[in-house]
Amino acid sequence: MDPAGVFATSFDQDQALVRTRSQAVTLGLFVMFMFALPWIADARSVAVMTSMLITAVVVIGLQINTGLAGQINLGQAAFMGAGAYATALLATKGGMPFWIALPVGGVCAALFGLIFGLAAVRIKGFYLALTTIAAQILFHFMVLNLPAAWMGGSNGITVEPARLFGWALDTDAAVYYLCLVVACIMIAGAYGVARSRHGRIFAAVRDDDVASGMMGIDVVRTKALAFLLGAFYAGIGGGLWAYYVRFVSIDQFTLIHSIWFIAMVIVGGMGSVTGALIGVFVIRFAQEFFTSVGPSLVENFSFLSGDVVFAALNIFLGGIIAGFLIFEPRGLMHRWNILKRSYRMWPYPY
Amino acid sequence: MSDFLNYLVNGALSGLLYALIAMGFVVIYRASKVFNFAQGELVVFGGYMVWWTIIQMGMPVWIGLPVAFASAAIFGLMIERIFFARLVGESVFSMVMVTIGLLILIRGIVLVLFGPQVRAFPIIFPLEPIILGDVVISRSLLYGGILTIVIGLGLSWFFNRTRVGLTMTAVAEDHQVAMSMGISVQRSIAFAWMLGAVLSTLGAMVHLSGRSINMMSSDIGLAALPVALLAGLESLAGLLLAGVLVGVIQGLASAYLDPLVGGALGSVFPFIIMLLMLLIRPTGMFGWKTIERV
Repeated sequence: MDPAGVFATSFDQDQALVRTRSQAVTLGLFVMFMFALPWIADARSVAVMTSMLITAVVVIGLQINTGLAGQINLGQAAFMGAGAYATALLATKGGMPFWIALPVGGVCAALFGLIFGLAAVRIKGFYLALTTIAAQILFHFMVLNLPAAWMGGSNGITVEPARLFGWALDTDAAVYYLCLVVACIMIAGAYGVARSRHGRIFAAVRDDDVASGMMGIDVVRTKALAFLLGAFYAGIGGGLWAYYVRFVSIDQFTLIHSIWFIAMVIVGGMGSVTGALIGVFVIRFAQEFFTSVGPSLVENFSFLSGDVVFAALNIFLGGIIAGFLIFEPRGLMHRWNILKRSYRMWPYPY
Repeated sequence: MSDFLNYLVNGALSGLLYALIAMGFVVIYRASKVFNFAQGELVVFGGYMVWWTIIQMGMPVWIGLPVAFASAAIFGLMIERIFFARLVGESVFSMVMVTIGLLILIRGIVLVLFGPQVRAFPIIFPLEPIILGDVVISRSLLYGGILTIVIGLGLSWFFNRTRVGLTMTAVAEDHQVAMSMGISVQRSIAFAWMLGAVLSTLGAMVHLSGRSINMMSSDIGLAALPVALLAGLESLAGLLLAGVLVGVIQGLASAYLDPLVGGALGSVFPFIIMLLMLLIRPTGMFGWKTIERV
C-alpha cells in the first residue's frame, strides 16, 4: 500500500514502480552507492559484490520461472552453465566481442531451457522438478563426454577478458562495472515483465493452470515462455560468470548450485523481484560470513576442525530452507511488507 | 555369449538394488504424498549407522544391524516430528522443497557426526562370488535381490490388501479427504518416514557391504530415481520389474555402447529413459492416473 496522501490518478501512475519522492531519492542514492563501491570498499567486498550481481541475474530468472510462473526448476545451474559455455565458446573459438557473445550465450541457454519448458507442458509439480534434475545430469554428461575439443571436457575453457572499444575489462573494478550495468538492465527488465500482461498471465498459470486455460490463456505457450525467459536470465548470468572468472568448468554448475538458487528465492520471497535480490544478498552474505569467520573460529577453538565450517554451512542452508517453508513460506519480502505497512499506519493499527 | 549372460544377470541384480533404494521413495510417497529428494542422504545416514554400530562400537552383526535399523527408524521419526508434522495440509510444493532442505541438512549432520573421511564398511554378506558355469554373481547383490523381491511383494500386499495400508494410501490420495474420514495423516507420515529410513539402511547394507562409505555414496539415491519413475510412484511391485528393466538396459548399454562413444553412456541411459517416460507417460508404467478438475 501507498503512504497517506499518495493517490494514483492514472493507469500509468498506478503501474509505476517508483511511487513517492523518497523512494526515488533512495533508489538514486542506492545506485550511486553501487557505482561508487570500487572506490570506497576493499577488493574483497568488490569481488563478493560482483558475484552477488551475477547470482542476482540468475536468481531473478529463477524467480520469473518458479516464483511468478510457478514452474519448479532445479536445473537453473545447468542453464547458467549452458550460457557460460556458449559465451566462452563464442568468445574463444568464434572470436566474437563480448557484446555479441553475451546475448547469444543467453539465447543458447534459453533454447536449452525451452526443451525442458516443453516438458513442462505435459508434466507439473515435482515431476517437473525431476525433469529439470535430469537436465542437470544430461548437461554434466554432455560436457564431460563430448569430445574434449568441443567443450573442453573436464579441463574447462579459459576465457580472454572482455574488450570494449579496445579497452580490456581485466581489472576487478572493470568487471564489476560490466556486471553492474548488465544486472541493472536485467533487473529493470524483470520488473517490467512482472507488471506486464505476461507477468499477470504467469501468475494466473501459477495459481491454477486448468482454470487459466479455461479463461483463454495459452498455457502451453506461457509455460514454455517462462522457461525461455528464466533460462535466458541464467544464460546471461553464466556469460557474465565466464567473463568474471575467465574460466569455465563443469563443477561450477552442479545440482547443489541449483539448490542454493532455489534457497535464495525461498528466503527472499516467492514471486517478487525485490525478494529475489534480498534473498541473494542474505544467502551470499551468510556464505561469505561462514567462509571468512570459519577459519579463525577453527584456529581459536582447537576442538573444531576445518570440515565443521563446510558442515555448518550445509546445516545452515538446509535449516534455513526448511525453516522458511515452515514458518514463513512467503519469505523476507512478506515480513518487510508487514513492517512497511505497520509504520505507514502508525499510530493506528489499521 | 557367456559375457552377454554375465551382463544380463548382473544388470538385473544391480537393477534390483536400485529397486530397493527406490522403494524408499515409493513408501514415503505412498503414505504421505511427499516425494523425498533426500533419499540418497537417508541411505548414507543408515550406512553410517551400520558402520558405527558394527565397526566403531564393535557389536556383532546380529546386534549391530537391529540397533542400526532402530536408530534409522528413530531418525525418520525425528524428521517427521521436526518438519512434516508442521506441514500437514500445506502445499505439496512446500513439502517437496523441505525434502530438498533436508538433503543438505542431513549432509551437514553426517559430516559433523561422522566426518568426511572414507570409512571401510563392514562385510555383511560373504565376499566370494557365486560362480554358476560362466556367470559370476556377487553374493551381496544376489541376497539383496532376493530380499528386495520378498520385501517388495510384502509391502505391495501391505499397502493394497491390509486395512492399515489402505488408510495410508488414502493419505497419499488427499490429506484433507483422509482427515475427514478419520485417518490420522500425521501417524501415516511418521510411519512412512520410519519405514523409508529403515529401507534406506537396508539398501545401504546391500549396496555397501564390503566396500567403503563416504558422502559420495548418496549418489545411489539419484541413480534410483529412474526406477521409481519408470514404475510409477505408487506401485511397489512394479518397482521390481522396472528395476530389472533399468538394470539390464544400463548393464548392456555400458557393456556394448560405452566403447563406441567412449564415455559413461551407461550411467546416463537410465535418465534418458526417465526423460522419455516423463514426456510420454508421466505416471509411469503402473502409477495412478489423476483426473484434473477446476
